[in-house]
Amino acid sequence: MECEKVGDGALQGDKLDVLYGEADAAVRERVLAHLESCAACREEMGALRALRRDLGSWRLPLARPGLTPRGYVLPRWLLAAALFLLAFAGTLGASGYLSLRRALAAQESRAALLERQQLASERALEAALARPPVADAEAFLARLDARIDERLLARASLQEQRFDQRLADWQERAAVRRRVDMAQVAASLSYLDGRHGEQLARTNELMGYVLQASDKR
Amino acid sequence: MGRSDEELVEACQAGEASAFDVLLARWEDRIRGAAFRFLGSEDEARDVAQEAFLKAYRGLSGFKQQARFSSWLYQIATNLCRDRLRRRKTRPLVSLEALEEAGPVIAETRAGAHERLIERDLARVVRGAIEALPLEQREVVILKEYQELTFLEIAQALDVPVSTVKTRLYRGLDQLRLRLEDQGVRGTTAVPVPAP
Repeated sequence: MECEKVGDGALQGDKLDVLYGEADAAVRERVLAHLESCAACREEMGALRALRRDLGSWRLPLARPGLTPRGYVLPRWLLAAALFLLAFAGTLGASGYLSLRRALAAQESRAALLERQQLASERALEAALARPPVADAEAFLARLDARIDERLLARASLQEQRFDQRLADWQERAAVRRRVDMAQVAASLSYLDGRHGEQLARTNELMGYVLQASDKR
Repeated sequence: MGRSDEELVEACQAGEASAFDVLLARWEDRIRGAAFRFLGSEDEARDVAQEAFLKAYRGLSGFKQQARFSSWLYQIATNLCRDRLRRRKTRPLVSLEALEEAGPVIAETRAGAHERLIERDLARVVRGAIEALPLEQREVVILKEYQELTFLEIAQALDVPVSTVKTRLYRGLDQLRLRLEDQGVRGTTAVPVPAP
């Protein structure tokens, strides 16, 4: 049996609208009216509905990779290799982790010590700052000046004593030297004594002047 | 209530790049699903979806919203799938001939065999029948049956009149019905008996 409107494109479109729920009320009423009277179309619509249910059996795979990294599926061999490497790295890293922990503990201990020292310094500084200021600053400065003057005077006195001592030493050495020179002159005059009578007398006179001048000086 | 596609498109055009992330999250699965049904390959479907969104992002500034964003997106993805199918120069991954060589899904002709047909086998037959359709009919069937686009949206996506969409769909469904019947599938529910 075949529908007398088998070539009616508009009817086909209307049937599809009804089939997919896009028909408005007028179209739906018209199609249903036709189906009432047309067994071929009624059978066709039933078959199409059944077909749609069959088509629904083709579903997408459950594990679908997405555009984002969360959806990527690794090949099994790559996954296995990754797991192996992960386990290997974990074994190697375990010992390293322990030593790292020890080093970290030592570092923490050292940091705590430094912190305590820092804290103590801060407290000492705070205590010093909290101390009352000097009551009489001028008196303190005067005492300080007096001490400085005292030290300066003591040092000047010491230097003076040393100078006097050096001067006395020098005078003594000069006197000794003069006596030696005079003795040598006298010895020379004695040598010439018998040889130049009158000349010697003048020389003696002259030397007498020299000695007097030397004593005066 | 989230923003509509149109609002998100306007936001993208105004420079709010994060709005496209929302569009991506909203349509990624559907576009990839459609591409998978067109191409039969998850890897290719993922690539197509990625490429489609990239093209959409690049072309978003020139998108006038005369059609819905989803229709435009499907149009891009459909064109990408067509290109790939042309490059393949072969028939779809699972041909109807291959299915026929494997024998009818329903073994024997005894009564009740259809009830024992496991859904997986039915899905395999359905998939083979759809992939054996001409490309134009296959596109319409997939967009209508699995992507649940309206006739107008399909017409916009394929850039053809609505009447053409309906004609292709009608022929495609008819072809499918015949092919499934050839495979021993006569619908999961009883076909109405014609009135005497």
